[in-house]
Amino acid sequence: MSSTQSAVRSHAEAVQVSRTIDYLGLFILFFVILGGFHVHAMLTMGDWDFWSDWKDRRLWVTVTPIMLVTFPAAVQAIVWEHFRIGFGATLCCISLVLGEWINRYFNFWGWTYFPINIVFPAILTPGAILLDGVLILTNSYLATAVFGATAFALVFYPCNWVIIAGLHMPVEYHGILMSIADISGYHYVRTGTPEYIRMIEKGTLRTFGKDVAPVSAFFSAFVCIMIYFIWHFIGRWYGTTKFLQQT
Amino acid sequence: MKTIKDRVAKMSFLGLLLALVTTSFYAPSAMAHGEKSQAAFMRMRTIIWYDLDWSSDSVAVNEKVNIDGKFHVFAGWPETVELPDIAFLNIGIPGPVFIRSESYIGGRIVPRSVSLKLGSDYEFSVVLTARRPGDWHVHTMMNVKGGGPVIGPGKWVNVTGSMSQFRNPITTLTGKTVDIETFNEGTIWAWHGLWFAVGLAWMAYFCKSPVFLPRWIMAHSGRRNELITDADKKMTIAFMAGTVVLVLFSYGSANSTYPITIPLQGGVLRDIPALPDQRGNVHVKVNGATYRVPGRAMSMDLTIHNGSDTAVQLCEFQAGAIRFLDSGVCEDETLYPENVLAPDGLSSSDNSAIGPDETKTITVTAQDASWEIERMSDIIYDPDSRFGAIIWFNGEDGSRQSAILNEPLIPVFM
Repeated sequence: MSSTQSAVRSHAEAVQVSRTIDYLGLFILFFVILGGFHVHAMLTMGDWDFWSDWKDRRLWVTVTPIMLVTFPAAVQAIVWEHFRIGFGATLCCISLVLGEWINRYFNFWGWTYFPINIVFPAILTPGAILLDGVLILTNSYLATAVFGATAFALVFYPCNWVIIAGLHMPVEYHGILMSIADISGYHYVRTGTPEYIRMIEKGTLRTFGKDVAPVSAFFSAFVCIMIYFIWHFIGRWYGTTKFLQQT
Repeated sequence: MKTIKDRVAKMSFLGLLLALVTTSFYAPSAMAHGEKSQAAFMRMRTIIWYDLDWSSDSVAVNEKVNIDGKFHVFAGWPETVELPDIAFLNIGIPGPVFIRSESYIGGRIVPRSVSLKLGSDYEFSVVLTARRPGDWHVHTMMNVKGGGPVIGPGKWVNVTGSMSQFRNPITTLTGKTVDIETFNEGTIWAWHGLWFAVGLAWMAYFCKSPVFLPRWIMAHSGRRNELITDADKKMTIAFMAGTVVLVLFSYGSANSTYPITIPLQGGVLRDIPALPDQRGNVHVKVNGATYRVPGRAMSMDLTIHNGSDTAVQLCEFQAGAIRFLDSGVCEDETLYPENVLAPDGLSSSDNSAIGPDETKTITVTAQDASWEIERMSDIIYDPDSRFGAIIWFNGEDGSRQSAILNEPLIPVFM
């Protein structure tokens, strides 16, 4: 076969090769994103996602979307620009969640025996679908940043409330009011994570009384817009091919 | 191709075999929690644990072990460690092999951080419930913000039974009794599974047509806008609407299932009561102290004044977790961990009783291999070469008095 001949001999063969490349590419992309995004997530918001007694209505709501809109923005910029693929954010989020579950199940439960109801990760898919959807419908990074990233942050707390609400039931524990999540964190000993490290309910949003979660979510949404822009540019830069002029 | 496959299979098999063989021959369990690697000055001059008692060294799953005792917050707290303005009474165990059912300082339950005062003594108690079978090293431990964990003595506790028998029930203020061990797990798995499936379905819709090569070619030939069809946009709207509806449904269903919830609780307990003076009226002045490296012995010239109304006799010297006893005067009856107990490690030039209002100058030597084994001899390499300890006296009337030592230490290398 000379270098000018095609590697495939028929249209059917070309389609088959193309689909094989699709499956291999998606497999590789999924696990590369899983690894990279997982490291990023654990380094930037690890404990908030690790423990149920860190999932509060102020900091968890604020920090998690800000830290997790990053990779979706970058991956969207690459796959939308070069392939018009509309599921970049969802691909990132479900790969991250799968990686987190592997970590929580095999490390936290299988290795150190923390119950799953203390170490489950957050649900991210709804925000990711909304982020992808805005990009597909508007074909605009600006609109995706403003509306998509905002939706990504705003939907985070409501979609996770279903898995944390039960853990916020009140209990009188030896004369002190605690939630079930607080008691879990107290019971299941974390030698390296003393109680004072737990960053919850800190801040000065006292004016809003108990309705602080929406305010935190809107603040998170505002920052997400900016973070989306920054990471979308990182994605575009990362997806650029440059050739050097031979002298 | 077949050759390559065969080689990969062969190498994989060899790798697996090697991993299996190496781990079968040498897979030790963790024997301690790094207390030996902690700087000697931290163990001597921060939190001094004493009068410790482990209620049992063998329990079944669901049974309780109490660790009771006292700790002294050293007044000569080292400059290199943050002051214990925020500290947490923890327990040193390898993960949740026990659950911490209760913990108290000064009689108050302390699930939260506390503020400790320098120079004070506190009574503490930790109640553990056995969860996982095995032999576990159980340490007292105080986490100090900015200082790290201060680990006290550890004792082996054997847990028998099966972890599947472990239960952790609790009743909420709404009258619902749940087992914390497994509560809410079905909901977590179900909703995560559902959203994962929705995400996969969203991706599968777009993957039904070619993903990479044809799209790349079209996108880079100026036809990228043809790649998203009207049908794609309709499906996108459907998915977005479905997502919003599902989120609203899940939120509403959670609120109706759990109408009463509270935010996570936190804070610092700053008014923990300290014990009244624990020292008594025996006053000790250190005239000089040396650590003889080859002999693993600390010698001190002490001037002791007995201000109490009963004769006293030197009984014990405690540095960090190591207790050096004069076997002629006292012996341990608390089943203190053997690795940090020198039952005959204390001697003095004259250990006759010191009468009321009498002053005596004697040379006291605390000598044992545990200085080296517990790496306490590393004190001579500290940047602030001082030692901290408690010295105990037994009174003729059965009382027990003590004094805190905090003085410079000179090493002797020859």
